[in-house]
Order: sequence, then C-alpha cells, then structure tokens
Amino acid sequence: MVKDYKGVRALDEVSFTVEPGSVTGFLGPNGAGKTTALRILVGLSRPTSGTATIFGRPYRELEAPGWHVGTLLDANAQHPGRTGREILTLGAMMLGLPRSRVDEVLELVGLTDREARRTFRGYSLGMRQRLGIAHALLARPRVLVLDEPANGLDPQGIHWLRGLLRQLADTGCAVLLSSHLLAEVERIADRVVVIGGGRVLAEGTLDELGRGRDLEQVFLELTAKADRRAA
Amino acid sequence: MSDVTVHGAARAAGETAGENTAPKPVPFHRLLLVEARKMADTRSAMVMLGLLAAMTVVSIAARGVDAGPQLGRLTTTAGIGYGTLLPAIAILAVTGDWTHRSALTTFTLEPRRGRVLVARCLPPLLATVAASLFALAVAAPVTAVTAALQGVPAEWDLDATRMLGWTATNVLLIAMALAFAMLLLHPAAAIATYFVVGTLWNLVGNVSELGREIARWVDLGTAVGPLAAAELTWMDAARLATAVLCSVALPMAIGAVRALRAEVR
Repeated sequence: MVKDYKGVRALDEVSFTVEPGSVTGFLGPNGAGKTTALRILVGLSRPTSGTATIFGRPYRELEAPGWHVGTLLDANAQHPGRTGREILTLGAMMLGLPRSRVDEVLELVGLTDREARRTFRGYSLGMRQRLGIAHALLARPRVLVLDEPANGLDPQGIHWLRGLLRQLADTGCAVLLSSHLLAEVERIADRVVVIGGGRVLAEGTLDELGRGRDLEQVFLELTAKADRRAA
Repeated sequence: MSDVTVHGAARAAGETAGENTAPKPVPFHRLLLVEARKMADTRSAMVMLGLLAAMTVVSIAARGVDAGPQLGRLTTTAGIGYGTLLPAIAILAVTGDWTHRSALTTFTLEPRRGRVLVARCLPPLLATVAASLFALAVAAPVTAVTAALQGVPAEWDLDATRMLGWTATNVLLIAMALAFAMLLLHPAAAIATYFVVGTLWNLVGNVSELGREIARWVDLGTAVGPLAAAELTWMDAARLATAVLCSVALPMAIGAVRALRAEVR
C-alpha cells in the first residue's frame, strides 16, 4: 500500500503477508511507517492506494471485525479515570461477551483483581500493555495486531508475552507485532518484515535474513542502505 | 501491486460455542448502552452528575423559599443547573473518546463511525429529558413543604405546553453543546465557545436593531425564547428552525464529516 501525507510519501508500495500459525515481527526505525501501516490495516486510516486485507477483505468490510481481529495500537490511549476492569467491561459489552470473560482475560494477562479495580491513571506502562493485550484477546480473535506491545514490559513480562503469543500462534492465530526492540522480536517472532523510509527492506524468516548473523547486524545494514539511497 | 494481507485461519469448529454467541455486527442498542455507561463510569463524571442533582435540589428549594409554593415556577428554576453543568457534561461525553484517544479502541471495535457518533449524542439528549422530569419530581415535594411551612395555599396548576416548551428548550440547547463538541473535539474549547457565543450574540443584539434581527434568526439562545415561554408564533417557529440549522445542524454536520473521514490517531 501507499500512504501520502500532504505530498510526503509515508509508505511506498509496502507489501507483505502474514500467515496463520505464525508470529510476524514488523520492524523498522522510528518514523519508518510501522504505526501508519497498522492503522491502515485496521481501518483507522485509508491508504492513498493499495489495499490492506484480513481474511481477504478490508477491515471495515468484515462482518464483525472486533470478533476476528484483536488490536492494540497504543497502550496509553485510555481514559485515565476508568478502572482497568471498566475498560475491559466496555469492550466486552461492545462485543456482546459475558462479564465472566473480563475475569478470564485479566487472569490471562496476570492482572490481579486489586489492580483491575485501580484507575488507569496509576498504571505503569507494563500494566497498560497487559491491559491492552487483555482487551485485544477479549473475543478470542484469530488475528492479533499489536503495536509495540513489548514496550515497557519487564524481562518477566517479555518472557510471558513470548509464551502467550507462541501459544496463540500454535493454535492457528496470525500475530503481527511491531517493535523497534530487535532482541525481543528475535525471541518472539518466526518471521520479520523490515521497513525503513516507508519501504519494505526485507521479509522472511529469521534464518533466511540472518544466515548466522544476529538480527541487529542485519537491521543496521538494511536501514543504513536505505538511508544512503534516500540521501 | 502493493498490498498488506493477513491470512487468518477460520475459527475452529466448536470454538465459538459455549458462552460465546456467533459473531454479528455490533447492534445499535449495544453502542447506546456503552456510550451511556461512559457518561458515568469515572469518579469525575459521578461528581459532576451528583453536583447537577444537588444544584437542582438546592436551586428549587431556594426558589421555593423566595417565591412561594408554585409548582411550575419551581420546576423551571432547575434551568440554572441545566444551562451550565449539563452542557459541560454533554460536551465531555462527546470529546472524551478523542482527548483520551480511546477512539482507537472504539473505532476498531465498530468501524461504522457514524453509528458510534449517533449513539454518543443520544444519551446526553435523553438525559436532558430525564433531568427535566427530575426537576418536576423535586419541585412537587418542595411545593408541598413550602406551602406547609409558609402557611399559604400551594399553586399546583402546571401548564403542559409551558413544560413541554421548557423541556424542548433544554434539549435544543444541549444539542447545540453537542454540536460545538463535535465541531471542536476539545472539551475546554467547546465549553468556552458554548458560553461565549451566547454573550457575543447578546452584544450584537444590543449594538443595533439589525444585529438583534440577525440574532433572532441565527442564535439558538435567542430563538428559543418564545419556545421556552410557550408563546411560539409561526414566525418564531421559522426563526427557531433557521437557528437550529445554523447553531446545531451546521456545526454538527461539519464535525460529523470530519470524524467520519479523519485518520484516528
């Protein structure tokens, strides 16, 4: 897809595919267009040209998108005065899920009942990420779109996230997560898509891209090349 | 070709069984319930609603002491709170999702944004009707108590058209607050505009006869006067209609078009 902002090309022919049963890491330096691409994917922004489809259809044309796709775009984007439980309750109401599902996802992400009763204002970034992931998992979706979910998680949190996403992928979920934290993506994802300057620089499994080198080396080489091209 | 594709496995058989019902688009009544709930699910929202209720009771009681036991007059005294706090509550109901950016969540769960916007504007309007009835419910016992305390006969007669006109006025003014909120998407800016616009039109009306005539046709605050007094002539109705068009429909339409098209950030 292509996305222009007032004559500036933010995304230039970005194309990639995410398959079920895999965790795909979406990598790129700050400002590369990761968030823009994810926003287009879930229908919050329209591409200038091209398409973004899930199950073969644009997000906005899915029958009940909230049921099929779990999304976390910004863990901080909630009303600070609402409790964690209330935020999840609103989501469950929208989706027509029973309140018991709220307790289930709270347990799944390791937020205690006490924490869930506190207001969002007092949540650490790690707790906000867990809450956002709980929200994304409410309807047991088959597709997960997560923007920087590992941001602010402590080492235990990252370990937990990796286990959770692995488990979801193993049951057939398609997981797409963006990050600029390479070490984490290397440990969580099976495949990576690297973008820089609005273009896809590389796509493939970690082995295909790395050929023995670590992801950081590969990433720095790719983005340096892209910068030289732009200059 | 430039496409981003996510292939998902079809939901495994039996997985949607159990407590989950089959996935369907979000029905409108659910959006309405969620948006209504959002008006009262934080401490600050509860404080505002509590203040409004307290203000209503206090202002009606004070008017009872001052003006004597007249049911109709005491009821409309609640307009003091409904003209100040209620617009602020209505504006916050519209802007909250944008200022706190929870619109990201709302519009991924329901991409049909127009339905969300309608569901968001209805609860404040319904709350205004409820508030008008609440004022009557408070004024009735205050009338009885005041009559007993002052030892004078209570005036129970209530002019139905007057009450309807008053309620409709309250609803229209809240609709204007909602329209400004939709247009500006910023709570402080919308609240300030709501109150400043009224003052400005007063000023315009005082400056010249022409200004007063324009205000009668364009400014809702001026045009609702005859409706509130239940003395609406056909001319007044025409003025009211154009004022609703200018002060409610126009800003709301501009705000809605923008909200439908905007990239949600």
